[in-house]
Amino acid sequence: MKILLVDDEKKFAMMLSKRLALRGIEVDYVYTGEEAVAKVESNKYDVAILDVKMPGIGGIELEKKLKALVPGMKSIFLTGHGSEADFTAGSAKAAYYLAKPLQIEELIEILHEVTE
Amino acid sequence: MIGRFRKMLGLLKPEFYHQTSDHLNPYFTFPDYRKIWGIGIFVLAAAALLPLMVVTLIYYQLIQKSVDSELILRTERVASNARRAVTFFLEERLDALRFTVNEIKYDQLTNPTHFAEILRNLKLGFGGLTDLSVIDHTGIQVAYAGPFKMEGKDYSKQAWFIECQKSNFYVSEIFRGYRDLPHIIITVKSFRRDGTHFILRATLETERLIHTLASYETGEHADIILVSRAGIIQTPSKYYGDIFEKMALPMPQYSPRTQTVMATDGQGRSIITGYAFISTQIAETPFILLVIKQKAGMMGVWLELRSKINWLVGFGIMVIIVVITITCTLMVNKLYLADKAKTEAMTVMEQSNQLASIGQLAAGVAHEINNPLALINETAGYVKDLFVIKEQYSKDDELLENIDYILEAVERCGTITRQLLGFARKFDVKIQRANLKEVISDVLVFYNKEAEYRNVNVFVDISKDIPEIETDRGKLQQVLLNLVSNAFQAVNNGCNLDIIASPDGANKVSITISDNGCGMPEENLTKIFEPFFTTKERGKGTGLGLTITYGLVKKLHGNISVKSRENEGTTFVITLPIHIQEEMRKDENSFGG
Repeated sequence: MKILLVDDEKKFAMMLSKRLALRGIEVDYVYTGEEAVAKVESNKYDVAILDVKMPGIGGIELEKKLKALVPGMKSIFLTGHGSEADFTAGSAKAAYYLAKPLQIEELIEILHEVTE
Repeated sequence: MIGRFRKMLGLLKPEFYHQTSDHLNPYFTFPDYRKIWGIGIFVLAAAALLPLMVVTLIYYQLIQKSVDSELILRTERVASNARRAVTFFLEERLDALRFTVNEIKYDQLTNPTHFAEILRNLKLGFGGLTDLSVIDHTGIQVAYAGPFKMEGKDYSKQAWFIECQKSNFYVSEIFRGYRDLPHIIITVKSFRRDGTHFILRATLETERLIHTLASYETGEHADIILVSRAGIIQTPSKYYGDIFEKMALPMPQYSPRTQTVMATDGQGRSIITGYAFISTQIAETPFILLVIKQKAGMMGVWLELRSKINWLVGFGIMVIIVVITITCTLMVNKLYLADKAKTEAMTVMEQSNQLASIGQLAAGVAHEINNPLALINETAGYVKDLFVIKEQYSKDDELLENIDYILEAVERCGTITRQLLGFARKFDVKIQRANLKEVISDVLVFYNKEAEYRNVNVFVDISKDIPEIETDRGKLQQVLLNLVSNAFQAVNNGCNLDIIASPDGANKVSITISDNGCGMPEENLTKIFEPFFTTKERGKGTGLGLTITYGLVKKLHGNISVKSRENEGTTFVITLPIHIQEEMRKDENSFGG
């Protein structure tokens, strides 16, 4: 399982990817939507973990772009806003989400659910 | 009957008079309703009564004037008539004497038999004569006819004799003279062939004159008298002195016509005096005719009428004051109640605005805190991972325990921020039809065990005629869950919890959740919907439960209110619209326009 983590909180992205790596999950992390698009174009990922609120391309818009590039790719949203209410647009409605601060076990569980 | 009586009592003791809502006072448009009431009554009474009083006074003045002029007119008429009668009385007798002198020769006049005959004829023709005499130019009485023995008397020194020689005709004042009886002398002067003159004198009885005058008297308060020009009373007077005494009133100024003056007499009584200087065509007389009327006596009828008017005006004023007082009281009370309702609405609005802005601020803070919280969470988690998963460092249980504390704290903060965000967020309401009975029993399922275990009596009463309502079932459930959970925390074992649902008017339903638990002091009541307000121990409650409940009820276009007494219990009442969509449309219209 290969994962792309996109979050403008640099230290958060780094720590979370380290923790996932410790659990045997291969993670690339970038800080902006543009970088993410570039990464997806050159690499193959199973799942993208996207922060909803980012400068430039936000998580929701990015999900659409990634879906256009790689139709089968799944996305999980992270939000500082707490709950499902932020997820009101387009294909994101059906997506998975997690509120910050998140429980790593919960994330792992969802990752497995998504890739099954 | 009792209701009506209470209403009457309410009028006497209006609500504003005992303005008690001290905590609302700063919001009232008018701070002092008693003052408004007082000023209102005063201004209205002044505006209503002043014209009435002015008109009454003007009316009195007019009546007074017309009564006065009527009195003057009547007095003048009486005086004028009496004057004519007195003048005629004297004139007639002077003319008779003149006729006698012109017609009968001096020799015949001095013949006693003939002279007595003349007196008899005059008495028959005119009356009022006592005796008749002829006096020669030296003052010696040369002939006399009458009841007394007066022949040969010398009148040369008498005042009247001196006076009567000056003119052809003479009328004396009333005097007593030799015979000591009130009488008047009238004389006519005539000339003999030898150039000397003689005087024909007649003595007039006064009774006849007095009778004539008395016949003009009008009523008890009027006096009609003759006085001499020197002010000596000549005929009997009721009020102003005895005969031959000096008149108590000042003498009027000479006027050839009948006159009327208003004055005050010696006793301070207001009087109207009509007077006339009596003079015949051929001779002046010493008499002044006075008709004196006392105003007070003459105005009796008018005074009676005035007293009736006074009573009527007084009664009118009373009625006006009573009506004004009642009207003013009712209106000020209505104003007060409207102001009170407005003030209460404003207070509620202010509270909900305050809550909304606190909520927004809280949500903003929560969102900003979430990111660093997430970083703490991952960093602490990673440190733990280093020990647990990587086993890079020797495992230190105490350190791991401390890391767990950090993670627990982060989780707690996360719960708070999530709740805060939930409170402030705008979310769509999913409307569906809900049966309150079902919703309530769904909620109570969670507490069946606890109620059984703690022996809490849960009493549910749902009115049979309660309709299904349009609402967000999930949100309503959450609201009820929060309130029931609070109630369970408030009651001791063996206490009661009542849930009552009933229609509230045509468009609303109300749900009452009351317990007989610990209750809360009044000062807490106003704060319980504020975020982070909690009476529970630190760490046990977030202080957001009722804030969220409040927010949810508002989202459902409902209202929530609370009543509580310490150690007696707490009652929450939620009212919800039956047709939420109508309420939402109303909102859209009022905001969208």
